[in-house]
Amino acid sequence: MTLLQTPIAAEKRTDRDEGLLEKATERRNRRTYLALLLPGLLGLLVSFVFPLAYMIRMSFNKGAPDGVIVETFTLDTYIQPLTDPYYWRVTLDTFQMGVTVGILCVLVSYPVALFLARSTSKYRGLLIAIAIAPLLTSAVVRTYGWMVILGTNGLINSSLEGLGLIDTPLKLTNNMTGVTIGLVEIFMPYAILAMISGFGRLSPQLEEAAGSLGASKFKVFTRVTLPLSLPGLLTAFLLVFVLAISTFITPRLLGGGSVQVLATEIYDQTTGLLNWPFAAALSVILLVLFGLIIAVYQRLTKKIGG
Amino acid sequence: MTEPKLSIVDLTKRYAAGLEPAVDRLNMEVEEGHLVALLGPSGCGKTTTLRMVAGLMDPTAGSIVVDGKEITHTPVNKRGMGMVFQSYALFPHMNVEQNVAFGLEMRQTPKSEQKARVAAALDMVQLGHLGKRQTKELSGGQQQRIALARALVVEPTLLLLDEPLSNLDAKLRETMRTEIRSIQQRTRATTLFVTHDQDEALDMADRIAVMNGGLIEQFGSPTDVYERPRTHFVANFIGQANFLTARVGAETGGASLAGESYYKVDVEGLGQFGAVGAAGLSGSTHEMVIRPHRLTVALRPGADQTPVAGTIERVSYTGDALAVAVRVGDQQLQAQLLTSSGDLPRTGDAAYLSWAPEDAYLLPATTSAERLAA
Repeated sequence: MTLLQTPIAAEKRTDRDEGLLEKATERRNRRTYLALLLPGLLGLLVSFVFPLAYMIRMSFNKGAPDGVIVETFTLDTYIQPLTDPYYWRVTLDTFQMGVTVGILCVLVSYPVALFLARSTSKYRGLLIAIAIAPLLTSAVVRTYGWMVILGTNGLINSSLEGLGLIDTPLKLTNNMTGVTIGLVEIFMPYAILAMISGFGRLSPQLEEAAGSLGASKFKVFTRVTLPLSLPGLLTAFLLVFVLAISTFITPRLLGGGSVQVLATEIYDQTTGLLNWPFAAALSVILLVLFGLIIAVYQRLTKKIGG
Repeated sequence: MTEPKLSIVDLTKRYAAGLEPAVDRLNMEVEEGHLVALLGPSGCGKTTTLRMVAGLMDPTAGSIVVDGKEITHTPVNKRGMGMVFQSYALFPHMNVEQNVAFGLEMRQTPKSEQKARVAAALDMVQLGHLGKRQTKELSGGQQQRIALARALVVEPTLLLLDEPLSNLDAKLRETMRTEIRSIQQRTRATTLFVTHDQDEALDMADRIAVMNGGLIEQFGSPTDVYERPRTHFVANFIGQANFLTARVGAETGGASLAGESYYKVDVEGLGQFGAVGAAGLSGSTHEMVIRPHRLTVALRPGADQTPVAGTIERVSYTGDALAVAVRVGDQQLQAQLLTSSGDLPRTGDAAYLSWAPEDAYLLPATTSAERLAA
């Protein structure tokens, strides 16, 4: 009996040893992953999590007119924007601007992105580079460019006047129209990039298949191309929306002070009135807006199977 | 003869001026109900031809006629054909039923009829129970069948298959081969089938168009292209072949196959043999084709025939068969014999090759060897 048992016992031990060894390797692997993640996590903690926590804490403080911050815990900073119709107006305008810019930007970028995604030309890489090249110049420079084009004596107005099409210059700057035009153009490269990467399920073969089954060019577009590009369109919209409602330069410069959105309001509160708690509260409201649209986005993508 | 279902007249496709044409004045007639395989190596123009018939590509010249109507410039969606793509091209945002129904929907078939026809088409490919599934949940073979059902449900004028089996593994490919063939025969759908696999073509097709360099080298039944290849390329591409250079002598008379004559031929380095070929070959030099398995390999000289003596240089054993390479003078001939429990020949053994005159076929074209070399 003992003769028989010994080898079995030995076998058992090796099994357990192997199990232990596996676990040890696994633990070591996990430690390696953590070590690799650490720099990134630390960076995020320092540059994102702490400031965000600080900002949220700040929003419950009390701001005094001379810029003194009174350390306390109050909801006054929230009650004011939530009860004052002016801030409702600003929040609503911000949201509306985000949606308008998002939709227009997606509309004008879609044909470009579709062309680039489907192109088989050897110049495709170059064309994509050209499409996103505007990112090389800062939004400030491009905003000034739009001021020159859209201004009262700008390119568009002087051309139209020269052609005798209008008598009085169109009002294209210092209002929401100008801001919208500027933002749509400035965000186009982002929208195009987001769309190209979101068009993964599109393929010329699917369009050919639809055609061979009797679908006209229009039907191919509405039944195959458009549904399959929806995930890309949604992503682009989300990206542009988020960028638009958080941008400050273009609404300030092209809006010329007559366009008030949350971002410009926060800037004024921070640098002009030195009311940091109030600016922090407005920032939190902006964050909630982000959260809302992202929730809607996730609902939609689940629905369309992106 | 009745009017052909499809005729292709001088069809030409040149991708860019100055380039060699991908398809070069191609002519073909396809009978109603036939399955025609376009067979050839990659780049021979077979897919280009199929795409032009489908309407996915504009021909540079020539015309395509279906049921007596010229459709050369009819847009793809007005051709009423059914196409199965190599990647199946199922719509990922639709379920199986919606995919199959797509063509009927485009034809504005009444909903109730759509339902019945989709169900019938899915039953035909034995996937009636998967109608509500998403296409990405299906296996390759199932996707392939859905693609076939989607193409057939519209009762297409022509069924076009672009290498439909190339994405399947070997076992499944054989099954789908039989299945596609039987569905095609049941529906009597006139079918064009692009493939680079000779076995597929021989097994499935009523007619094979062997293509090379944008041209049809031969258009005929599977037995035609295998037994009576018109060119070196066809003999070489379909099955294995030994090529010998033969000076054709006098006709020997005797019973000849349809229009063919028996000849006495003088094969360089081997001696005098009998062979068959088209009429009127006497006096010139032709290539003679012998399939490896039509060579009789004996290990001792036989009495009744005039065998060719040689040495076995290489033996490869595949279980059922033994492929041997036999050195005869300065040539090497491939032969095949079925294995048995007895002695098997080994490298270095002497071998005596013989063949029946019917198995030595003289290629009609004297130019094919030069053409291939060019």
